[in-house]
Amino acid sequence: MKNFLLLLKQNPRAILGLSILLLWILLALLGPSLLPYSFSQMDMDNQISRPGLNGHLLGTDALGRDILTRIVYGSRSILTIALMTSLFSSLAGILIGFTAGYFGGFWDTLFLRIMDIVMAIPPLVLSMVVLGILGDSTIASLTIIVSIAYTPATARVARGALLSCKGSEYVDAARIRGESDFYIMFVEILPNTLGPIIVEITARFAYSIMMIASLGFLGVGLQPPTPDWGMMVIENKSIIREAPWAVLYPSLAIASLVIAISLFSDFISKVMIHEK
Amino acid sequence: MEFFKRFSKRLGFMFVTLAVMSFIIFLLVEIMPGDVAQTVLGQSATPESLKALREAMGLNDPIMVRYFRWAGGILKGDLGESFYMRGVQISSIFWRRVGHSIVLALTALLFYVPLSLFFGVVAGVKAGKFTDSVISFFGLATMALPEFVSGVILITIFSVSLKILPITSVIPIGENLWQNLKILVLPALSITFVMFGYVSRMQRSSMINVMNSDYVRAAILKGMPRGYVIFRHALKNALLPSITIIGMNMGWLFGGLIVVETLFGFPGLGSLTMSAIKTRDIPLIEACVLFITLVFVVSTFITDMLYAYLNPRIRFKGGEA
Amino acid sequence: MKNNTLLEINNLTVTYKTLTDSVVALRDLSISLQTQEALGIIGESGCGKSTLSYAIMGYLSSNGRCDGEILFEGENLLTKNQKQLMEYRGNRIAMVYQNPYSSLNPSLTIGQQLDEVTIFHRKLSRKQAREKTLEALTDLYLGDAEGLVKRYPHQISGGMQQRVCIAMALLCRPNLMILDEPTTALDVTTEAVILDIIGELKRKYSMSLIYISHDLGIVNKISDRIAVMYRGEVVEMGFKRALFSRPSHPYTRALINCIPRAGVVKEEVRLNTIPGYVKRRGLQETGCPFVDRCEKRVPGCTDKYGMMERDSNHYSACDRAYATDVPDKEIKALKISKEIPQPEERILDIKELYKHYRQGGTKIRALDGVTVSLETNQVLGIVGESGCGKSTLGHTVSGLLTPTRGHIIYKDKEISVSWRKRSPEILREIQLIFQNPGRSLNPSFTLETLLGRPMKKLLGISSKKERIKLSRQILAKVDLSEEYLNRKTTQLSGGEMQRAAIARAFSIAPNLIVCDEPTSALDVSVQASVLNLLSELQQTSGASYIFISHDLYVINYISDYIMVMYLGRICEYGKKSEVVGPPYHPYTEALLSAVPDVDPSLDKNTIRLEGSPPNPTQRIKGCPFAGRCHKKIGKICDTTPPPRIEFSESHFVYCHLKPEDLGAV
Repeated sequence: MKNFLLLLKQNPRAILGLSILLLWILLALLGPSLLPYSFSQMDMDNQISRPGLNGHLLGTDALGRDILTRIVYGSRSILTIALMTSLFSSLAGILIGFTAGYFGGFWDTLFLRIMDIVMAIPPLVLSMVVLGILGDSTIASLTIIVSIAYTPATARVARGALLSCKGSEYVDAARIRGESDFYIMFVEILPNTLGPIIVEITARFAYSIMMIASLGFLGVGLQPPTPDWGMMVIENKSIIREAPWAVLYPSLAIASLVIAISLFSDFISKVMIHEK
Repeated sequence: MEFFKRFSKRLGFMFVTLAVMSFIIFLLVEIMPGDVAQTVLGQSATPESLKALREAMGLNDPIMVRYFRWAGGILKGDLGESFYMRGVQISSIFWRRVGHSIVLALTALLFYVPLSLFFGVVAGVKAGKFTDSVISFFGLATMALPEFVSGVILITIFSVSLKILPITSVIPIGENLWQNLKILVLPALSITFVMFGYVSRMQRSSMINVMNSDYVRAAILKGMPRGYVIFRHALKNALLPSITIIGMNMGWLFGGLIVVETLFGFPGLGSLTMSAIKTRDIPLIEACVLFITLVFVVSTFITDMLYAYLNPRIRFKGGEA
Repeated sequence: MKNNTLLEINNLTVTYKTLTDSVVALRDLSISLQTQEALGIIGESGCGKSTLSYAIMGYLSSNGRCDGEILFEGENLLTKNQKQLMEYRGNRIAMVYQNPYSSLNPSLTIGQQLDEVTIFHRKLSRKQAREKTLEALTDLYLGDAEGLVKRYPHQISGGMQQRVCIAMALLCRPNLMILDEPTTALDVTTEAVILDIIGELKRKYSMSLIYISHDLGIVNKISDRIAVMYRGEVVEMGFKRALFSRPSHPYTRALINCIPRAGVVKEEVRLNTIPGYVKRRGLQETGCPFVDRCEKRVPGCTDKYGMMERDSNHYSACDRAYATDVPDKEIKALKISKEIPQPEERILDIKELYKHYRQGGTKIRALDGVTVSLETNQVLGIVGESGCGKSTLGHTVSGLLTPTRGHIIYKDKEISVSWRKRSPEILREIQLIFQNPGRSLNPSFTLETLLGRPMKKLLGISSKKERIKLSRQILAKVDLSEEYLNRKTTQLSGGEMQRAAIARAFSIAPNLIVCDEPTSALDVSVQASVLNLLSELQQTSGASYIFISHDLYVINYISDYIMVMYLGRICEYGKKSEVVGPPYHPYTEALLSAVPDVDPSLDKNTIRLEGSPPNPTQRIKGCPFAGRCHKKIGKICDTTPPPRIEFSESHFVYCHLKPEDLGAV
């Protein structure tokens, strides 16, 4: 822990990333109670209003909805879905990747081939197709589909982490004690793979945000009136000349959040390397 | 001989992948909820007309029959008939769009590959110094931008404020793509940003690994000049892994195409896929997704072979003197 | 030349700044080297020997700082910038590294990597450079040089790679060649050949050498003078015979004494040990670096001290090696009272054991028909080089690998199955101690967990209190105090970790322990204490060992019986004294001649083994050693498996030669 803080101090970029992330989390938790508007409230007199005017800090969109409010509310859903996605896909990835890597041979080859095949469809395309056909997306469906789309990638990382430990002699020592495979995988090996896995979870968090925003942009995000950052961009694309802020601010929100998480993820990987 | 064996093995696997993928795609799309006939005829359709339509579309046949009918058609070049646009052969609109997308993808590749490799190498060589900090941060920032976000930012700068590039990338009726090359710039740039970020970071870390390797140290301690060591000893080993990475990211590239084409209204495969999904046009969806998969699988195969050819450790199998 | 000094290092101090503090890698080091002289530098981990070589080459990492001077042919190298140093590197000073494979560029051919040296330094054309390259390769006795230059590094063996690296260093006829543990990664027989070649080349090209190693025997073979380093300082320096017969510094004496050598056996002595272990050096420390582990220390030793000339050209920082005011520690052999008679019964029977497996399409014959047996309270030492199958044998006995064919019978039970199929009793009774303790103990767990788990699983002790009590007892047996229970392996030194691993193995009272190179990864000074411990525990518990090692002297020390293996088969087997003395199997003879002696006055003739190193993928119809045997008779060695020749009830070899030709009396 002490080392962590020490390294943090030396890394201004990481501090920046962490602060932005914490800011967003704070906004997500407390924001709605501080804002005067609701996200669906339509201010008919002030449609397409410039930022700063008429009590709308970031302006309004075509329907007169306050952009700041919609961004803050949108942050809740995107953070929740992305976090759950990264956790679920990592969990599934660990289960699948560990099993494949540990047992090796036929199962491993099978796993690799299946992963190769599944990864042949880009995750965005896959998610989009499935969600598009399923109809209106919910938090649950987004989480599940994107988790499934990301599991091959996390499984690869988990498998790699396991393989780097599998040859260690403590695994052999455990075997000749008669330990079960389950024990060896999850009690002996898992603690030593936490480094790369934690890095993967944080990186996956960033990717999930990007994915969910993109899916929203493509029209398969959370349905209106629930604010979805990606949806906000596509909804207002047609009036980009007249009201660039309606498209720009949600975009910047996405960018800032992903950059923040990426900076932090970078830092975590530096910490893990240092621990070695 | 070794190489040829690898080649045929991978080629074979490629075909298997395509076959399996085609089945999965078909299954996925066909078993999705939602009645196609309903979508086509609308809410007011009578049960009889729905039934008749389903019969005419062959929707009542068992799934395997339908799959082989479709797959057989694909192999003959017949992509089937659009559900949504009754009577329109998919092939008539499909290939033109595919061509556009390929041009767009190649433009993006042309932009990002040289740039990311170059800056990745520079950042790696100057690791820890100011140049590296700048390049790394830029790479990280651009990697974090989904394609539509960078697209929006670019539009705001170049189209709305500076007004030097078109906002949308529509081709006027009667003209073709080559007469309107300007429309390629912003979409390609949008994809370039995120790909640049990722590949330049990978290239950087590969370069750093190589610069820290024992053989680079040995070369320097042989008295070879630093510039020579970088070019002759380090570069080839550092660039090699990037081939694999670029190939693997073709999938991401195509995902990005869908987003970018939608944002800019570019008439390509991506926007076609989007409208296909919106209209539940099953055969069209299947054709689009299959093609995207094909591109990805083929590019993986090519990069794999290229890597094997360029890496002496794989190309020349180890053996005793 | 009037002045014969080639290299003079004066008061060199190298410090590194890390995240938390500064580390002194070299302190106030002064050495001189004459032309055409070979200086051996010996030291254990952390002594700074590699740092020294990089400092001479002017290649330290950015957080390192040098003070002092390094005078090469009169010029101070520390004042030169990188561009000026280029003129020296590879040209006037050349270096050869420990790992030849990683020092060669995998993407360039051998020829390309060699040619560029002369192209740059001598401005030769491609054609001329290639000629020089071929010449250099021939110097190193590499056959088919023309074909070799077209190949890539991964296509040749480790021994050949190192020869290529040495050839590369020779190309510009440097005045000084620095060799940093060049043979550590190689087999003993390959090593012997390369050492010979190095010696020959030194004479042929009138070079000076700096030869760095942790192995005193090797350093003795090649050097004229030796410098002993400890924790960043030179503690003693002098001609090798003087150093060996009358060391001046207590560390030198202790180091020499703790190395198991020819003729040192457990029945007669326990090895001398150096207590403690090497700690990193901080900025503030002054005085003798060895004081915390020295047995001859007196109160004045912690103050600053310096190198003094004790004898002609023999310097040392301390002369208390044989000081009488602190008496020598008495090392007595362990005498086991034989009150309780130990019945000698068969504990292990290995019959016609084969292990073949596939690796990427080729069949590897790791074990090709091994038959041997073991009694209780007995140590069977298995010795051989890489690819001989000794580790595979250990792994099949312990259950990590399943044999392809053959039987392993333990106490009348068939155990030729993997661990999955063995009963808990068998698992408890057969244990394994690994080479690398850092990897055999899970770094995420404390010693308490590491010791407690086998007790819980194999002894069925469910009470945590009980397990902790037993753990304390066993830790005491390996000389570790109970506070170690709360530590993780990252907080332990190599020697401490191995002791913990030994404790873990013994905690469940096994009858048979397979020791797979248990001391090979440890520093020399630590090795001795671990060997003593293993020997002692074996004798007090009555357990049997299968002790695997590539170090013949270690095997000689600890074993009762010795088995020599080559390419998965037995060459020779017998009581210890029978194997290390004549009659010999030719391979045993070659091995014994190849291992360098610590005593420099023993000059033995090395038998040079030519031919390619053992290849376990080949199917061998005759004798596995036929390809390299210096006593090969003829075709019969290749076509027919050699018969078993029995010299006594316990001693046999497999060879076509007649017993008289094998040195039998």
